[in-house]
Amino acid sequence: MAAASDDRRTAFETEALPHLDAVYRLALRLSGDEAQADDLVQETMLKAYRSWHQYKSGTNVRAWLLTILRHTFINEYRKAKRAGPTVDIGEIEGYYVFHEVQEVDPEGEFFKQIVDDEVLRAIDSLPDEFRETLVLSDVEQLTYAEIAEVTGVPVGTVKSRLFRARQALQQRLYDYALEMGYIKGVKR
Amino acid sequence: MSAPRKIDCQAAADRLYEYLDGELTPDAYDEVRAHLEDCALCFKVFGFENTYLAFLRARTRAQKAPEHLKKRIFEHILFDQDSAESQ
Repeated sequence: MAAASDDRRTAFETEALPHLDAVYRLALRLSGDEAQADDLVQETMLKAYRSWHQYKSGTNVRAWLLTILRHTFINEYRKAKRAGPTVDIGEIEGYYVFHEVQEVDPEGEFFKQIVDDEVLRAIDSLPDEFRETLVLSDVEQLTYAEIAEVTGVPVGTVKSRLFRARQALQQRLYDYALEMGYIKGVKR
Repeated sequence: MSAPRKIDCQAAADRLYEYLDGELTPDAYDEVRAHLEDCALCFKVFGFENTYLAFLRARTRAQKAPEHLKKRIFEHILFDQDSAESQ
């Protein structure tokens, strides 16, 4: 008995715990609150440990952990609604920023001046389903198929959400860069 | 080995992120790549978007789980009675 339990603990420590930072980052972006992210991560890891026998060795343990995290968040935490303004993602025009900057900064040099905190704040202003899709892709580097599995939607939906989320975020960061004077607006 | 099918700017733009994310089949990838070799404007758009995605990765991965949280999780798992009983 003790030996089986030790085996599981060792397997969990070597396979699951290395993904703790990824679990924590998604928890922060979903909840928008450090204390809540702590609780959410702890609960996720404990659930994962208790159901370790359901995890199929060799499959993507990170996607599995993030799925548990997302379910836990939606079922137990989402009720407390996030504060703050949300970007309107309904009217996104593809490649708007490139068209704006192609004459003054076609290589996107202005991005380099935008710091981490400002990027995270802009991500936090995306609507829930767009924020989680973008974080799973651009922060945690999951494939479209893995994101579809974690979020429970078809791959086509992942693609369209990712396109709109990235373009909306880019517009917001561009507006911020204009405001800060990192780039000059095009006179019309 | 036949030459990739010709695609236009709209078709290339529709596959932009799939191309940059490595989500295309080899044939579809080759079609986009061939278009980028012929079209200076699309080449610039793809380069711009590639810079943007690299920037997002670089700016969002620094956060780590805090030490107190790691400790809490280790302790919980080590002394987890529920799961010891369920074995």
